[in-house]
Amino acid sequence: MTHKTQSIAYPYFVVSLLLFGLQVLVGLWLATNYFVTIPQSIVDAFPFSTARAFHTNLLVLWLLLGFMGATYYLVPEETNSEIYSPKLAIFQLVLLSATGVAALSGFVFGWTQGRPLLEIPRPLDLLVVIGALIFLFNVGMTIIRARRWTMTQGSLLAGLFFLAILYLFGIPFYRNLSVDWYYWWWVVHLWVEGAWELIAAAMTAYMLMKLTGVERSIVEKWLYVELGLFLFTGIAGTGHHYYWLGAPKYWLAVGGIFSALEPFPILLMVYDTWRDIKHRKEPMLPKLTWVYLVGGVVLHFLGAGLFGFAHTLPQINYYTHGSQVTVSHGHLAFYGAYVLLNLTFYYFAIPRIKGFPGFAYDEKTGHTAFWLTSLGVLGMSLAFAVAGVLQTYLERVQGQPYMLAAQPIRFWMFIAFVHGLVVVAGVFLIIKHLLTLKPAPQPAAA
Amino acid sequence: MSEKLAKLIFWGGTLSSLALFLALTVDTHRQFHALTHADQLDQRVVAGKKVFEKYNCNDCHTILGFGGYYAPDLTRAYSRLGEDAIVRRLEHPEVAFADSYRKMPQQHLRPEEIADLVAFLKWVSAIENHDWPPQDSVARWKRSTQNLIASATLSPGAALVKQENCLSCHSLGELGEKKGPRLEWIGARRDAAYIADYLANPEKLAPGAAMPAYDHLSPEQRRLIGEFVVSLAASHRR
Repeated sequence: MTHKTQSIAYPYFVVSLLLFGLQVLVGLWLATNYFVTIPQSIVDAFPFSTARAFHTNLLVLWLLLGFMGATYYLVPEETNSEIYSPKLAIFQLVLLSATGVAALSGFVFGWTQGRPLLEIPRPLDLLVVIGALIFLFNVGMTIIRARRWTMTQGSLLAGLFFLAILYLFGIPFYRNLSVDWYYWWWVVHLWVEGAWELIAAAMTAYMLMKLTGVERSIVEKWLYVELGLFLFTGIAGTGHHYYWLGAPKYWLAVGGIFSALEPFPILLMVYDTWRDIKHRKEPMLPKLTWVYLVGGVVLHFLGAGLFGFAHTLPQINYYTHGSQVTVSHGHLAFYGAYVLLNLTFYYFAIPRIKGFPGFAYDEKTGHTAFWLTSLGVLGMSLAFAVAGVLQTYLERVQGQPYMLAAQPIRFWMFIAFVHGLVVVAGVFLIIKHLLTLKPAPQPAAA
Repeated sequence: MSEKLAKLIFWGGTLSSLALFLALTVDTHRQFHALTHADQLDQRVVAGKKVFEKYNCNDCHTILGFGGYYAPDLTRAYSRLGEDAIVRRLEHPEVAFADSYRKMPQQHLRPEEIADLVAFLKWVSAIENHDWPPQDSVARWKRSTQNLIASATLSPGAALVKQENCLSCHSLGELGEKKGPRLEWIGARRDAAYIADYLANPEKLAPGAAMPAYDHLSPEQRRLIGEFVVSLAASHRR
């Protein structure tokens, strides 16, 4: 850490980790709903729909708070100046957290916009927008005042800017359901396969520069190529969500072709990481930070790239669309692309914020936690995949009614739940490890 | 690779994809009206969409394949279930799903909210979306029932379905009305004995069902109808 205001990131990390813990706990409850018959009285009070709104909104909120914290950490070093207003940054965190708590409490009492992932009621949307504007103002002023521009922070800021702009498309009431979903994907798809990829690529490039000592000019040059490919495939690739919503038939061709290319930029990201490692000037330390970074890059490719490609072609998607296959892809992709990215950044930044000597920390329980969580999520995604293939065959190919086809899926949802227990154990270990991170034990002097 | 080329790839890739995407968005808007039959999209349908959102239906059910995966897709719910069966499920989910291992919450919808939802689902069911979802594809049902309709004179069950005017409420292939559930769908869910029992006294097996009892038929006749309905299931014809 070279600047005092970088430490603003820490409270962001803490809040986001607590929300992450709550998110996975709710996930266990959701899985339970699939293999246990929940009594009507409980369903009336706390239906699956409310729990799902919890699970997805917590995910989005904690990832975004992590991105924002990472930005506050990264921008002072990139601009070589302090954050414009640390007080505003803390106010923004309090505002967004309070909005999140209000939204979750509201869901329990049926206060909802009623659209998946965009359940936050419209009055609270306004607070989210204010929070985002404060954030962009604060970061923007820092950069303008410093008059120092780098490609990495440009990518990060562009990502955060588009993220805020795209959110606006999710706010209005649309009379026509097809138009509604058309713009719903401007938020959801263009976030995760557009704006968020800009943020992820910038955060990864930044950490690679710091950890490997490879020159900025080389890392940033490849960042341009990577982002060019991400956006080329990702923007028109939105079409793979437009196959069956009442849009013209050409989306089947456009969506199919562009999304078939979507694994390539991720592959380039894998290659970039490998090349930076090969040309590194520093040792690969601390080991756990590297386990997270490489793990994230590999699972990003597997979850988002390969699992996504598996059901993106319209000929296949006709049968798999809206089934547990989507659930399988969704879990592994979010974990590989964004959850591990944030956790890598926390492991990178926290020792620096706390000023540990050599940025080394006591890694002991961290490795166990990583493998528990990663293998848990992988196993869970495979269980969802089996459930999804069963559903696809029984319901969509054979034509069995939904609940009949759901019968053999119950077992695989139980398997997913068992893996979910492992994930929860791993996540709680990660949270505990990160929040109580200690400097690396010094070799015994006496 | 030079930095200049890298920047060219970035701007070229981003802007070309964006230009294509925006151009197709404009054209898609021009076609939405016809593809979604927006001329049928009246205040009732809009009110129904608001009810759909108010009760967060979409976080358990998918519609157009989007949403929660916990409950059946609603894109073609109207053509699969028909009006009466939808109303029954919305009025008393605790009764309609008493035997189900997944429950639907009782949210005490008002009668006009239920009517609005039915109007909304009716409008959605007509959206032209390349015949998705496959399990509710009318083209597929049509195929699976064509043979049976052609051989109706040979099948006593089919003759009874005709004689009792079942299609004045139920649909079959492209025929019939959408008051009650589609016969192919019933055939896939139930066995012949259940259907025969149901015909004798619907109220006993499905309290609140709108269907009248067919107790004037003999048990043998009811069994024949049951066997005919079961033979219609899409999964049996493939």
